[in-house]
Parts: sequence; C-alpha cells; structure tokens
Amino acid sequence: MWYLLRKLGLLLLTAWAAITLNFLLPRLMPGTPADAAIAKLAQNGPVDPATRAAIEAQLGVPTGDVWSQYIQYLGNVFRLDFGVSYTFFPQSVSSLIMNALPWTLVMVGLVTVVAFICGTLLGVLAAWKRGTWLDTLPTLGGTFTSAFPYFWTALLLVFFLGYQLKWFPTSGAYGRESTPNMSLAFVSDAIGHAWLPAITILITSLGGWILGMRNNMINTLGDDYVTFAEANGLRSHTVAIKYAARNAILPNLTGFGLALGGVVGGSLLVEQVFNYPGVGYLLYNAVTNQDFPLMQALFLMITISVLLANFFVDILYGLLDPRTRR
Amino acid sequence: MSLLEVNNLSVVYEPRGAEPTYAVKNASFSLERGEFVGLVGESGSGKSTLGFAVTRLAKAPARISEGTILFDGRDIASMKEEELRKQRQGGFAMVLQSGMNALNPVRSIRKHFGDIFAAHGHVPKSKRLARAYDLVEKVELPRTVLDRFPGELSGGMRQRVSIALALSLEPQLMVFDEPTTALDVLVQHAVMGTIRELQKSENFTALLISHDLGIVLESTSRVMVMSEGVIVEDGTSQQILQSPQHAYTQMLLSHYADPRAEVVEVPGLVVRGSTISTTGHSSVAEAVDAASPAHSATATGAPTAPARRRAGRPEATAIVVDDVTKVYPPPRRGQDPVTAVDHVSFTLEQGQSMALVGASGSGKSTLAKLVTGVERPTSGAIHFGDARVDKLRRKGLRELRREVQMVFQDPYSALNPLHTVEYALMRPVLNYTGLRGVAARTRVLELLDTVGLTPVEQFAAKLPHQLSGGQRQRVVIARALACDPQVIIADEPVSMLDVSLRAGVLALLDDLRVTFGVSMLYITHDLLSARLVTDQIMVLNQGRVVESGQTAQVLRFPEDPYTMELLEAIPQPQRAGTGR
Amino acid sequence: MTVPANLPEPTGSTPPYLTPAGADGSTVVPPARGPASPLRVISRGASTIWSNKKARIGVVVLAVFVLMAVFAPLIAPYGATENGFGRNQAPSGAHWFGTTAAGEDVFSQVVFGARISVLVGFIAGFLSTLIAVVVGLSWGYIRGPLADVINFVVNLVLVIPGLPLMIVIAAYLQNGGMTMIIFVVVLTGWAYGARVLRSQTQSIRGRDFITAAQFSGDGAARIVFREILPNMTSLITGSFFGAATSAILAESGLSFLGIGDTTTVSWGSMLFWASNSNALLTGQWVLLFAPGLCIALLATSLTLINFGVDGLSNPRLREGSGR
Repeated sequence: MWYLLRKLGLLLLTAWAAITLNFLLPRLMPGTPADAAIAKLAQNGPVDPATRAAIEAQLGVPTGDVWSQYIQYLGNVFRLDFGVSYTFFPQSVSSLIMNALPWTLVMVGLVTVVAFICGTLLGVLAAWKRGTWLDTLPTLGGTFTSAFPYFWTALLLVFFLGYQLKWFPTSGAYGRESTPNMSLAFVSDAIGHAWLPAITILITSLGGWILGMRNNMINTLGDDYVTFAEANGLRSHTVAIKYAARNAILPNLTGFGLALGGVVGGSLLVEQVFNYPGVGYLLYNAVTNQDFPLMQALFLMITISVLLANFFVDILYGLLDPRTRR
Repeated sequence: MSLLEVNNLSVVYEPRGAEPTYAVKNASFSLERGEFVGLVGESGSGKSTLGFAVTRLAKAPARISEGTILFDGRDIASMKEEELRKQRQGGFAMVLQSGMNALNPVRSIRKHFGDIFAAHGHVPKSKRLARAYDLVEKVELPRTVLDRFPGELSGGMRQRVSIALALSLEPQLMVFDEPTTALDVLVQHAVMGTIRELQKSENFTALLISHDLGIVLESTSRVMVMSEGVIVEDGTSQQILQSPQHAYTQMLLSHYADPRAEVVEVPGLVVRGSTISTTGHSSVAEAVDAASPAHSATATGAPTAPARRRAGRPEATAIVVDDVTKVYPPPRRGQDPVTAVDHVSFTLEQGQSMALVGASGSGKSTLAKLVTGVERPTSGAIHFGDARVDKLRRKGLRELRREVQMVFQDPYSALNPLHTVEYALMRPVLNYTGLRGVAARTRVLELLDTVGLTPVEQFAAKLPHQLSGGQRQRVVIARALACDPQVIIADEPVSMLDVSLRAGVLALLDDLRVTFGVSMLYITHDLLSARLVTDQIMVLNQGRVVESGQTAQVLRFPEDPYTMELLEAIPQPQRAGTGR
Repeated sequence: MTVPANLPEPTGSTPPYLTPAGADGSTVVPPARGPASPLRVISRGASTIWSNKKARIGVVVLAVFVLMAVFAPLIAPYGATENGFGRNQAPSGAHWFGTTAAGEDVFSQVVFGARISVLVGFIAGFLSTLIAVVVGLSWGYIRGPLADVINFVVNLVLVIPGLPLMIVIAAYLQNGGMTMIIFVVVLTGWAYGARVLRSQTQSIRGRDFITAAQFSGDGAARIVFREILPNMTSLITGSFFGAATSAILAESGLSFLGIGDTTTVSWGSMLFWASNSNALLTGQWVLLFAPGLCIALLATSLTLINFGVDGLSNPRLREGSGR
C-alpha cells in the first residue's frame, strides 16, 4: 500500500516536472516562438486577445510576467486547452490530438505489449538453452534487428511487401473510401492497414526485449535458489519458469519502463513513413510547419502517456515482487 | 553394501582460455547407512567440489572427468538428467552453504514445499499440508513460517527452512555444505544442534562439509580430511582427535584450544595471562571502572614505545568512551528505532589490548565506527587526548586517523584490486609522515619487512589477487602501521582466514602492538583469539556491556549468562564422539 | 593459504561452480601473473573482449567502418555531392549502387555518409559518457537530499521520450546542423549510463578499501578518481558503446525527418531524400537498402562489442560459462 502511494506521488511529481519542462522549453530557446506562432495564425484572419494570451502563456514572450503566464498555462493544461492549430486551422489542438491519439494508443500500445511478451519468452528460452541454436539464433538475430532504424525497417517493408508484393496497403490507417465508424467492415479495413506499421515495430523492438531477458535470466540461473531447486529434483520447467524466469522478469520490467520512451519515439518515425494518422504523424506535420502550439501539446501528451505507462509497470512490479509489500 | 561408494573420482575445472585444474583427484571413499561423516579442508581443498560432484550438482566449467559414484548400487556419475531427478526423492539431498540465498525470494515457503511434493508426488495431495507442518516443526520453526516469504526470515530461519525442504525429499543421504558458515555464532550452534538431532531421529546418512574441524569433530563419528584435492586422512573422530596421522590434520588440530582453559596455547603464539589478578574481575555495574589504573595493570607492564617518528605528537593518549549511545532510524516504516549501542563507557589506555566480543548485532562494529569517527553517537562523548572524536570535522578526522588506524575483517575487500601493494602502503606514508621520494619508498619496504613479507621488493610490486588471504591481511596491517598510530582498531581481522593462517596473523598483531607500544581494540566473536591477544575484555549484548574485566578471568570464570552462552557455542574437538 | 584466489573454492559464499576472477568481488581485472601495469590491465581487458566470438566480429565490422570514414576520399569514386550523372539510374559498372534523383553517385554517398555516423557516434557517445561518469560518480558518492534531487532529475530524463524531445528542440533551433544534433543527443542520452555507474559506485564505496583510503588520509576527489573510477572501466566502456549506438540511431532518425542540415550527406539524410523523391515508386531498392543496412551494421557492431564488455564486468555472461 505504501509502495502504491509512493509511486503515485512520484507519478504526480514527475508529471508536474514534465508539464513545467514543457512550459520552459520554448522560453529557453533562441528567438520568440510566440511571435512566430501568432504571425502564422494571423495569416488565417485576425487573432483575438484571448487566443493571443493563451499562445503567449504557452510559448512565452520576453516582456511578459513569467509567473502569471505559468499560472495561466497550468490552468490551460488542466482544461486541455492548447489553443488553435494554424496548420489545420481552425481546428483546436486538443481535438486534433484526440483524433490522433486512439490510433497510436491502440496500434503502438498493443504491438509494444505483444513484442515485450514475445521477446521475454524468447529470452527465457535462449538463456535456458544457452549455447544451442535456440540461443544463438534469437540472440544474434535480435542484436541485428534491434540495430535497425525504425524508419528504415518501415521503408523496406513498404517497398517489398507493399509496392512489390502488394500484400498490404502502404499508407494511412484506413482506405480512402471508408469513414471511421464501428462497423465490422471498417474495423477489418483498419486492421489491414495496421499490419505493416505493427510488423515494423515488432521487428525493431523485439531484439531488445530478447537480449535484456536473456541477460537477466543467465544471472538468475547462477543464483543459489536455482541450484537448490535442482538439488531438490524439481522438474526442469518448474525451475526454468517459476524460479529463474520469475525472478529475471523483475529487472526486465524495469527495463521495459525505461525503454518505453525509445519505442514510442521510434513508432513516431514509423507513423511518418506510413502516413499513419497517429500522434507521430501529427508531430511530424507540426514540426515541418513550425506549428509550435500543436508541437508543444503533442510532446506533453506523449510524455504523459509514457509516464502513465511507467506507472502501470511499477504497479505490476509491486504485484510481482513480495519485497515491495513490506 | 555401502549407501554411497565413490571410486577414483576426479573433478576437473575447465574455464575457457585457462589451464584446466583438478579440484578433486582420484577420491575414493564409502559411506555406510546411518553414518554421520565429516569432510574437512581449508579453502581451495576441493571439499565443496567433491560435495557438488557426489550429488551431481557440479556445473560447467567443472566436470567429473573419471570415476564412479555408486549410490545404493547404481552409478549416478553417468546417469541421465531425468532419471537423476527422480533419484533425488528418497535418494540424496543437499543443503547449500549460503542458505540465505537458497530460497526463491518471490515464492512463499509453502510454495517451496508444494513444488517439491508436486515434482515427485511422493506425498498424497491431502497429506501435503500436514507433512509441511510436520517438517517445519522438525526444524523448530513455527507453522506460520509457511506463509512467509524468504525475505521476511532471518538467516538462521532460512537455513532451517532449507534443511526442512531437503528433508521433505525423505533422502537416505544428506550432504551439508558448510551449513552454518554464514550464520552468527549462537545461531550456528543452535542450527548444528538441530542437524545432529535430526540425523539421529530420521536416521539418514549425513556428510558434513566444513572448514572447521571443531564443528565436524563435535558432530560426526568419522572424519575425512582433504587437502589440495586429495583425501589425506580418513578415520573415526576419536582417531583423528587422539592420533592424527597426516601432518596436515595435526596442524589443523593444533589450532584448537579451549579459551576457558588455565593455559591456552596455539603454535606461534606466546602463552599469555594464566595468572589472574585478585582485583581483576568486574561486572556490569563496574564497567566504567574497568578503565581505572588497577584494571590496566597488565597493560602498564608492556614495554614503552621505542623512540620513533612521533616527535612533536602527543604521547600516551587514551581513548575515553563516556556513556555513548547510538540509535539508528527504524529500518522500515512502522518499526522501532534500533539502539545499536546502549550507554557504553570504557577507557582504552595507551599500550593496552582490549577485546570487544559479542554475537553479530551486539553493537561491536558500531562501536568501532564511533571510536574512529566514521559515525557519530546519538549521545555521550568520545575523547582522544584533547579531541572530541564525536565532534570532529573533515580536517580533525584526518588528524585523528594519523593516530587511530584500522585493520579490516575482509582482506579481499580491504585492498583495491587495481593497486599494487606499494601504492597501498605509499598513500599513508605520503599523507601522514611527510616522507618523499626515496625515503618514502624505503619506509614502505621497511613496513613490508616488519610484517614479514619478504623479499620486500617482490611483494611491493604485487597486486592483491597475487597474494594469499594471509598475505593480504599482512599488507593491511602494514598499512595501518604506516603512520605510527597510537591505536589500532582490529575488526575481526582473522575471521575470514583459514584456521592455519589465523595464528600467524594474530601473533604478528600482538608482536607489533608490544614492540610499537600501540594500543589495540580487538573486535571479535571468537573468544579463543580474544584470549590469545588481549588483556582486557568487554562482552557486548544488544548494545550493552554485560561483563568486562581481565580476559583470562572473564573467560575462565564467566558470570553473565550471555558470556557463558558464547563460550558454550565454541566448537570443541574434545567433545568428539561424546554424542552430544 | 598459498592458493591464488581464482582456484575452485573461494572463501566467500560464492558456490564453487562459479569460478570467476570476481569471486571475491574484484570484478574487473582477470587474474594476471607477472608485473602489474595499467597497460597490462588494458591489454588483459582487450584480450577478454577479443576472446568473445561475437565481440570479435563487432570489432572487425567497426574497424571497417572507421577505415571507410577516414579514407572516404580515397575509397569513393566520386565526391559526395558531385551531381550531374544521370538521374535515378539503376546500378551499373560506373555507379555500383546507381544514382540518386539529383544525379549523385549512391556508392560515394554511402562511403562519405560513414563519416557523419562514426563522428556523431563517437563524439556524442564520448560526451554522454563523460556526463554520465561525472553525474554517476558524484551521485553515488554523496549522501543526503542532493542525491534525491539528482535521482529525480535522472529518472525524469530517463522516462521523457528522447526522440520527441529531440524533435521539439531541433524544431526550435532551426538549421543547427550536426552540432545541434550532437547537442540534443547528448542532452537526452547521458541518464542511463549515469544510473548504471551510480549503482556501481555505491557498491564500490561500501567496500573496505574505500574506508581504508580514508584512513590513509586520501581526500574525496582522490578516492573517487583513483580508487573508484579505475574499478569501473568496463562499465564505462559499456556505457560508451551503448550511448554511441543510440546516438547513431538518433542522428539517423533526425536526419531522416529532415531536421537539421539536409544538405549534409549522411545515411539518414540519404534516406530522407530517397523517400522524398519517391525511390519507393521508381524501384531503386539499393538506394533504400544500402544506407539503412550500414546504420544497422554499425550499430550492431557496437552492440556486439558490448557482449564482450559485459563479460568483463559480469563473469556469468562470459561465453562458455554456460550451464
């Protein structure tokens, strides 16, 4: 219980720090991003004072009172009010994010969990069968594929499986003629479009999980409780799973939390290659169009998502390790 | 037919990129049913490797290179994995040295038992719980222990659980590999008692592997002695005790003595303090007085320090510990603060040698940290000359350490593996003595000579891993002496060393102390060594001084029950075959 | 005891089947005989790495890329930005990998591209490791509230997704070029190493030889740099290669997005131009394949070397010490 409260407190503190960092970032940068943003917005028509104040609170002006801007910014964040995007004028930043977020959460989230589970299982197998082909193949293969740049894997898959073999659609999250709804036809269309980006993320992130789990497992296999379990004649799968792997998974979970940021970053690149209408693609558009309000809000959302995912990993860790319950 | 018959067994270590070494060479022996046999040897003798081999637990890079192991008539040396696994129930079991780590930290004790029952199916499902209760009670643990996780148990409890788990296999042979080595003295004694009783009541054959001939002789009816991979002697405990044949066994045996005896003698150490002064003994109430001149009569008899490099430094300064208490914050939320040292007072006079004894957790190491200024007391004062040790800041601490030096417990950890002996000794010489260049180096070589590491030039160039444990400890002592300190705090300086090396290091410490007129605070749980090198003794229990006075007096005629308990826990080879 | 510490039965609680040099905790230096010198320590470490088959492959691959970067002008048949050959040509004798949409020689670009990746990898890896060492060591050595503050900052940097942060920073610092990329890669890349080094520092500082150094009158700085630091060589090497790997991948990602200077020829920017000029549609698979494969091979070589480095600091991970 105390563990849970501590982790919750840490989550809130980290979230606050991330929000504040997001506030400080544009202010630390050379130039005045706020002026640039307002100028761009003015191309779409007159900017009303409330919008101007909101942008200034978010991006900062050299003359303004930083403290009151910070208060206003915090208020805006809690109301999820990030102003208006000028790339996609007149849509609000939050509505853009809300449209993009589900695609990323479902596709990237699901694949990441699947990759983690598969990688962990392969890592267990590799360590248990150390020195055999069941070890060498996933270890060397994993080392190689985890060095693949995400976008390159994506490009290759698009090129070979998309353009050459025409097995999968190469762009977007659903066909041009369909509109998002919950019909079976649309869902299967969406799944068809998700295959390539999903396979990309799976290929590139799997290796890391395999290697991490293999190393942890090799360590626990050398521990005394494994030797003692063998001395007591436990079945080899009991020793492998309930003794060695069960303990090796704990540091691997911590590793999962830490590597999550990297996977999310990588999938942003993947979305860009596939024109997948998720957060990464939106961020790419915001960056190329210098749409600072959208960019800042996206960065914040991505960070908070990773923080939340880390929090859930911590909870899981707490459930799996009796030592945290004391 | 013998239960276990080992013929011509050799175990080879084949690490990659290194020469193979034989850890066990052509060992042959047999164990009869119901026998309790000991296997004794020092570190590196191959005794544990042999234990792992006969239970078929040896893993790469170790490999059984030749020989047979007939268990109940079947050769298990070449047995297939699955068949071997089945043999472990009703066959042979092993209790590991580090019982602390032998349990899966994320599995409850109940599940540990469940796993074994499930693996062998030798207990019907309905009776498993009752059997588990029965087993934990056999090792004298409460039933509630089943619902605990290993991390919630003390070291002794965990080792008992290990024994119960091994017992649940209903083995005919139990191999105990240093079952009590990592445990505290008193716990050690109790766990060994349990093992002896179980062996009698369950009537299994037992092989007890230990470096401690005392513990082995006390428990077993037959002893095998191993040295450099070879079994050099095999005889009944009485034979080993009364007429050891092999020189190695004789040497091991000569290092045992009863600290309660009138005269205590160990090869290499001078006989000491068999006479008892009439005023000597004091009890708890008089603890503070222990420092009064009357009590340090023996100390004043020591030769005064030869004229050395102490010019301009305070001479003959005592350490005065005055009503010191140290309370640590609670280790976990919701627990009580820990009082490690509880109102302790004593004076360590110049040239005096005082022992601080107690089991682990008695506060003796905390007291050492307080005296050296590593930690600060919660209340009370510590004086060294004009200085208040408990108030010193960085510069003052440096000054203090010029006079108060330390010898550490673990010689493997006390030397930086990357620095040569010369570097280690050069640091205090440069920092404290003001010597430079050739003079400093001469001083370093002189120190090596003092501690008997000759040829000095060769030893100066060595790295720690090229030295044996005893040699490392000599380097540590030389380093402590480098700045001509007045006081040496020796924290269990020989407890990590092999028995045969202890006397040498102790003799050196004692010798140097007398020649250089250094006073010594000797911290130990080992009463025999305390008797050998100290004049005064303080017995600590849970942070309090329960008894103090002249060492010989206190150990020969203890008054406090705790002191008696400590004395009782010392393994005595003389008890061999007495069936305790 | 005249037995060297690496014989089968160490005095510690380590079971005899683990017979590492580190049985007594001195995990760094494998037992050596003969006179000791720093050179010998390094050569011992190098030979341990070399004895690992995977690491050996890594060293060879890395050496090939480094040589390619150094001697790029000698190896490449044309200049990196030399254009005016035919556009979008398929591989031929004159242009082994074909030409780009701007009429540049792909093979020459791949060769010159090695310079950027190797340079970014080494510089960013070095700077990240430097910060990691300074933060990790002081963080591990100090106690009290400051340590908690550092802990929080490091954890924050660790969980904040690196690439998005780089993208955001890079978007503000318009056309900062290579310096900017190195800056943001270092800014986000030091934390992991700092964490690893900190926990090792803590475990070393608890050992008696540190207390002994204090008793010998050595100051804090000397203890950190002469007693603790040399015992972490393998971990520092490991975190250098780790940081270099992620720097190379991050640089390629940023270049691919067209952030930074797109006129610099790097493997990432080659892919940026390739995907912008629809190499996917024109079927120039070599243009897509070669730069990415080079990134992957270079990153793999570093990871492979780290297999050997892992074996230095963790004997259990050494090859051949299998079950």
